[in-house]
Amino acid sequence: MRVATVTLNPAVDRQLIVPNFEVNQLHRLTGPESSAMTPGGKGINVAMLLDVLGISVVAMSILAGYTGRILEEELRRLHPRITTNFVYTSGETRENIAIVDPIKDTITEINSSGPKVDEKTMDVFLKRYIMTLSRVNTVVISGSVPPGVSAGYCMDLVRRAKQQKKTVIVEGIGRFFEEVVKNDCPHVVRPDLRRTQTVFDRSLETLEDYVELAKEFIRLGAEAAVISYQVVSDIVATKEGVWVFTSKEKVEKSHLFGTGDAFVAGIVYGIDRGLSYYEALKYGMAAAIAETKYVEKSALSISEIEKYLDAFEVRSAV
Amino acid sequence: MKVKDVLIRDISAVFEDETVEDFVRICSMQSFSGLPVVDENMVVVGYISENDVINAAVPSYFSLLQSVSFLPDTHQLVQRLQKIKEHTVSQYMKTPAVTVKEEDSLIHVADLIIRRRLKVVPVVDDQGRLVGIVTRMGVLKGAMEKGG
Repeated sequence: MRVATVTLNPAVDRQLIVPNFEVNQLHRLTGPESSAMTPGGKGINVAMLLDVLGISVVAMSILAGYTGRILEEELRRLHPRITTNFVYTSGETRENIAIVDPIKDTITEINSSGPKVDEKTMDVFLKRYIMTLSRVNTVVISGSVPPGVSAGYCMDLVRRAKQQKKTVIVEGIGRFFEEVVKNDCPHVVRPDLRRTQTVFDRSLETLEDYVELAKEFIRLGAEAAVISYQVVSDIVATKEGVWVFTSKEKVEKSHLFGTGDAFVAGIVYGIDRGLSYYEALKYGMAAAIAETKYVEKSALSISEIEKYLDAFEVRSAV
Repeated sequence: MKVKDVLIRDISAVFEDETVEDFVRICSMQSFSGLPVVDENMVVVGYISENDVINAAVPSYFSLLQSVSFLPDTHQLVQRLQKIKEHTVSQYMKTPAVTVKEEDSLIHVADLIIRRRLKVVPVVDDQGRLVGIVTRMGVLKGAMEKGG
């Protein structure tokens, strides 16, 4: 096992493809290809992508109830090479629903909050996490945090991994993400900006705002930072500089499902191959562009990713 | 056919110092009948099953009676379970654990399952660290698919 992915709030993803979707209307799905149910949650998605790229992964999660069992069984069926180390709590693992409209080029997402995690479960999970750290090089902590889990708990996960000299990648949202980054900055950070474009109480509007935020992540100790910018671009930063990566490929909004996770998986793949953070970021961008060629979440091959290594412009933003 | 062909890469386990109550909680939530017991390096040091806990909880003379009709009620069982629930799993686990490696043959693990009456066999690497499990159904399914 070379990589551990931590998904504290996993989900069963239900993706429905509904042409000309309208609220307040009855829609009928045309066939099984219009409705997919897959294991989800950012870290789980990254684990599935890495598995196909040939990187041995252990997926760690807190699951619950019947939906948790579905997630576990589907993951095992689709990706038997992924090692699992799951802890269960009371309640039900959440379901995330995405309605993709390829005609109007929209995605409508409804994500639930997840089960409340009690202290006992957190203790059990932490113990297994510490044990797993000794067997991996890289830790990806990704996605939202379920009710009951404190920012301090997330900080502890990052701190323990860093203490053991693991490369730590965190993608997250809101106060938890900000506190983790400020407290003991992970090596690679990527804020999830799908719901809000506000980070550290600052609203991100202009390119300069994004560039300044990227610089701040580096000042706080990150080796690399990625910030999604205006659908086709990403602002990336390392200690050597800040750049804007802009896709030369046309990107359909309805094809954005899973691109953030592909970006993270591409970075992990690059780091795992011993590339510099800057080169690893390029693999991330290429993986994200490759993912936009599919409507649904898709497994990418190495050749597919490498095909898109030149499919974006790079310009310095400093 | 080898163990790796039917291996379930799940490393759910209990630690030696976790309690019987922890074990029951984990098993009931995840529908396990037993779990490998590991040390802090994930080395398998034993195996504990629901049978081990039941055996520890029922009066020692029970196995001689052959029937529960001799027991007046479940009071003794409940009392004894209350008593042992804070005990560590290391007190009731079976040691040494029966383990196999990924490169072992399927017939070897099938033989262990039959002779030792096992439902699950932990799979370990060269350092004895847990890498997954093989189940009875996994062996059956694997052998059947190979035959087909």
